[in-house]
Amino acid sequence: MSKDASIAEPKVSDTKEGGSQVDDAVEQSLYAKRQKIYPREVHGLFAALRTAGVAILLGLYYIVPWLQWDGRQAVLFDLPERKFYVLNMVFWPQDFFYLTLLLIVSALGLFFVTALAGRVWCGYACPQTVWTEAFLWIERKVEGSRPRQMKLDKEPNSFRKIRIKATKHFLWIVFALFTGLTFVGYFSPMRELAANFVTFNNGPWEMFWIYFYALATYGNAGWLREQVCMYMCPYARFQSAMFDKDTMIISFDESRGLPKGPRKKTADKTAAGLGDCIDCTICVQVCPTGIDIRDGLQYQCIGCAACIDACDDVMDKMGYERGLIRYTTENTLQGKHTHIFRPRVILYAMILMGVTAGAFYSILTRTPVAMDVIRDRNSLYRETNDGLIENVYIIKLMNMDKQAHTYSLSVQGIPELLLKKDIDDISVKSGEVIELPVRVQVDADNLKQRSNEISFTLDALDDELHIVEDARFLGPAFK
Amino acid sequence: MDAIPLIQRVVAILWPSFITAGIATVLFTTAFDPAVVFIDHDISRMGLYTISFFLFWAFGAITAAATCYFLKPCEAINKARMAMSENTDSVKE
Repeated sequence: MSKDASIAEPKVSDTKEGGSQVDDAVEQSLYAKRQKIYPREVHGLFAALRTAGVAILLGLYYIVPWLQWDGRQAVLFDLPERKFYVLNMVFWPQDFFYLTLLLIVSALGLFFVTALAGRVWCGYACPQTVWTEAFLWIERKVEGSRPRQMKLDKEPNSFRKIRIKATKHFLWIVFALFTGLTFVGYFSPMRELAANFVTFNNGPWEMFWIYFYALATYGNAGWLREQVCMYMCPYARFQSAMFDKDTMIISFDESRGLPKGPRKKTADKTAAGLGDCIDCTICVQVCPTGIDIRDGLQYQCIGCAACIDACDDVMDKMGYERGLIRYTTENTLQGKHTHIFRPRVILYAMILMGVTAGAFYSILTRTPVAMDVIRDRNSLYRETNDGLIENVYIIKLMNMDKQAHTYSLSVQGIPELLLKKDIDDISVKSGEVIELPVRVQVDADNLKQRSNEISFTLDALDDELHIVEDARFLGPAFK
Repeated sequence: MDAIPLIQRVVAILWPSFITAGIATVLFTTAFDPAVVFIDHDISRMGLYTISFFLFWAFGAITAAATCYFLKPCEAINKARMAMSENTDSVKE
């Protein structure tokens, strides 16, 4: 308790003193080992929302790799096979464009939400918050409430202390390993992976990534916690660029709360010259980043609203009106009108909708066949027995459609081009890649230069699919 | 400059390089199939992705570390040298 109050205090006491001592003190305090934050458990509307967020997001994360679709894993980013399965769709490295679109949509969505509602992402949906919540929950189950955790940490080592700490870390590690296993399950078939994991039969690389991700989870959610938000998160640094006076923030109502001070429940606060804040510091105790919201909007605030729940609870007990700490906007606090629809929000919304619509359109209308033309690197060209110039290519065909297709291949670009291939029937099953070696021949007289542009055309015989891919045809030096 | 906690310094080197290594790995392995590029080595694709990622991470971390190192103000270097040559305990001031 005294520890918490002191978190906000050093600033105040430093400014009262003067001279170089202050700088020294500040420097030392910043160099000091990080003080562990013991967030106090909190109940209320926003805590319930966050718990719901944790349950839904973690639930999705752990369940999705187990879902099946048409006899295969529903969501699988199959890196070894270089195919990404998402429900009924299959994506290839050639579809990288869609990943870029997805990232742009996510970023715009974040901008939009931030401008409108502040850091709700941080407070309810960020993986760091979500996993930290889960780890805190385990910690509370094992070590007990906040005062008990603090007492335990101060105790000298004893069998009891070591037993409790060991239990906590054991549970953390088990949970982290399960998290790591699930993570790798998105990239390597989950069922196989899990079966092999129990019998220690995973491949070395899979094993490595399971442990690596587990270690990252354990370190970030168990040890680093709010430091990730403060030192590692780029979003936290630039989010103020998206804020304006109409953005929803969590704020302490100074005009109502100050001057703060303790009083009896029965006391007449107006007579005592006090505001509504009873200075119980519960809002500081519940804060996962250890700040005092009463000092105003701070960079460290992840907008989790734990202080709102905590303060509302205290206000209820005191018989005061709720909302001394609440979601509000800077304009409202200053007694001005808050504009929800403002140019910034409308602009973000329009760009977001435009890009999302474009992404959907292009995914729905993409040509489900891809062709790569790879020139044989071993020889530039050769002369056939008939005196023709021949180039060899490997045509890589991918059928990204849901059914099998038969295609016809032709080549254009130089007069009297001949296309020779070993098989006549180019049939490719759904989701299959074939490599088709072809030879292209032409009379040297038809070549105008050393390097000629040609193009291969692929048509599906049973559909309207049609794609063209350019290539180069090399011949002897210009004559 | 001296008021930056150790964890922040470590993170400033390891974290941005981690992100860029991830991006670089995705771009690199999308453009070039590592199984084709390193066809002579008997390593699975998963292994090649892993190796590329850690190589990119190492390069990024080296760059970030060098940047941090050169960001040190000249005055700080002078001070440190003076402190060393005097070898007194008045450095603390």
